[in-house]
Amino acid sequence: MTADTTWHAGHTLLRAYVEGRLDAVLGASLERHLDGCPACRADIRPLVDPPLLDQSWSGLRTAVESPPPPWLVRLARRLGLPESTGVLLAATASLRTAWLSSAFVALGFAVAATLLRGDVLWPFLLVAPLIPVLGVAAAYGPSEDPFEALAVTAPYGRTRLILVRSLAVLVTSVPGACLLGLAVPGPAWVAVAWLGPALTMLPLVLALASWVGPRLAGAVMALVWCGVVLGSVRRLPATWPVEATQQLTYLALATAAVAVLLVRSRRTRRIGAVL
Amino acid sequence: MTVDLIGVGKSYAGTAALSDITLSFGRGVTGLLGPNGAGKTTLLRIVATSIAADRGRVRLLGGDPHASHAELTQVRRGLGYLPQELGYPGDMTTYGFVEYVAVLKEWNDRRARQREVRRVLELVGLADLAGKRVAKLSGGQRRRVGLAQALLGDPRLLVLDEPTTGLDPAQRATLRRTLSVVAHEATVLLSTHQTEDVAALCERVVVLAAGQVRFDGTVVDLVATAAGRVWLTDHDVPDAAVTWRTGTGRHRVVGGSPPPGAESAEPTLEDAYLLMLGADAAVSALPA
Repeated sequence: MTADTTWHAGHTLLRAYVEGRLDAVLGASLERHLDGCPACRADIRPLVDPPLLDQSWSGLRTAVESPPPPWLVRLARRLGLPESTGVLLAATASLRTAWLSSAFVALGFAVAATLLRGDVLWPFLLVAPLIPVLGVAAAYGPSEDPFEALAVTAPYGRTRLILVRSLAVLVTSVPGACLLGLAVPGPAWVAVAWLGPALTMLPLVLALASWVGPRLAGAVMALVWCGVVLGSVRRLPATWPVEATQQLTYLALATAAVAVLLVRSRRTRRIGAVL
Repeated sequence: MTVDLIGVGKSYAGTAALSDITLSFGRGVTGLLGPNGAGKTTLLRIVATSIAADRGRVRLLGGDPHASHAELTQVRRGLGYLPQELGYPGDMTTYGFVEYVAVLKEWNDRRARQREVRRVLELVGLADLAGKRVAKLSGGQRRRVGLAQALLGDPRLLVLDEPTTGLDPAQRATLRRTLSVVAHEATVLLSTHQTEDVAALCERVVVLAAGQVRFDGTVVDLVATAAGRVWLTDHDVPDAAVTWRTGTGRHRVVGGSPPPGAESAEPTLEDAYLLMLGADAAVSALPA
């Protein structure tokens, strides 16, 4: 564009443009002229409301400079979750690709082991329930953890944050583990029956974590579950850990754990004492 | 007053970290000064609702954080807190971290949140590093990320635990400018080891030692407590409360009786602080 034009837009025309009173054709041709004419650009500047200009400029910068949201945030938005919840979940360690993929590799090995032997179930029963349980335990640190410190004092509430994270861990880990379970030899119901102990261990791990922190709680839970499964291997049927009688025991334990959590959070008024 | 503490105490495993603290804070910047283990962080954590006091009454922003969950949440809505130590997940960007905290602070509308995150990042001079991972930032930059999240939503009560750690002199000056703007509307409570920070930033200073308030007043008043008790001499004075050899080769003597042939010197805030801590400071100044 050259600027050696003799015509210049007058004050009335520029004001009409700024106020949006020009039609599309006239407006577009004036814009073309402004692109190439420094004199008219200087004339129009005082006519534009500075706060409005700043606002549109900062809006433009925000849109251009804000980094694209991580895949988890985009996924959460697709699933119809509030976008803000997605931002919170993206900060959860055990929802990251690395954690999830290593969990599924472990489960894959367990399934492969059952397939190779053909007559055992314990590797699958051992690993599958521990994936959501350890995922929940790894989803948050103790309240003294430097990263958790901000969640403790934020109005959103740490308890709410922990529950949201735990739900997200369930949603991301359970369907895949169920699908892998279908490949396991033996009755088909085993593919979902492991959910019984898994869903029992979740409130247990949360209740235990309110005393000893999530890391130790997760470790204790994993040891106890290993004891149950490996202890049944020798003399009991392969499906023993997930049969009906045992499931009833799990249900009773889960109810007790939920009750403990409720009573503790009701009774303990102290800030950050529970969860 | 924004913050009222009456007879507040806190113990860890039987050891008192704070005993019987009664203090009130209103608008403006107050500095907490004290040696390590004096109880500064404990006091700030109680005011930031991060821990509960064992004894005494705490009122923050007109509410009682221990009364009910609703009241606690109400208090937290007006609060900005920079903890002494902040953790950053390795793969989080500067922008992502501040946005995460913004969601925890209930900025649910995406556009408003993005604008606010930009605003605080610009305020601490990190707008250009928004896309960089926090793990790759320098110590001073990371401290500023922490400060940015504390400033989200213009809190009425700002609690900063050692905000100047790791900042170079130019960044310190920027921080002072930022805080002086914020302090017109807000109550700012900060702790520091640096007497220069207090002199430059705070109208009021509280000296804590061994969990108790040793001094509470203006910076000028604290300096005045050392008037006529600071000397410069050519010889070492072994029985002085605090003494050290300055860069010019002379000995600065704080407290005690005037050494013979000494020349009286203008006290600084540091002199007054060292004098106030007396024996504690003298012991900690000795080589181990």
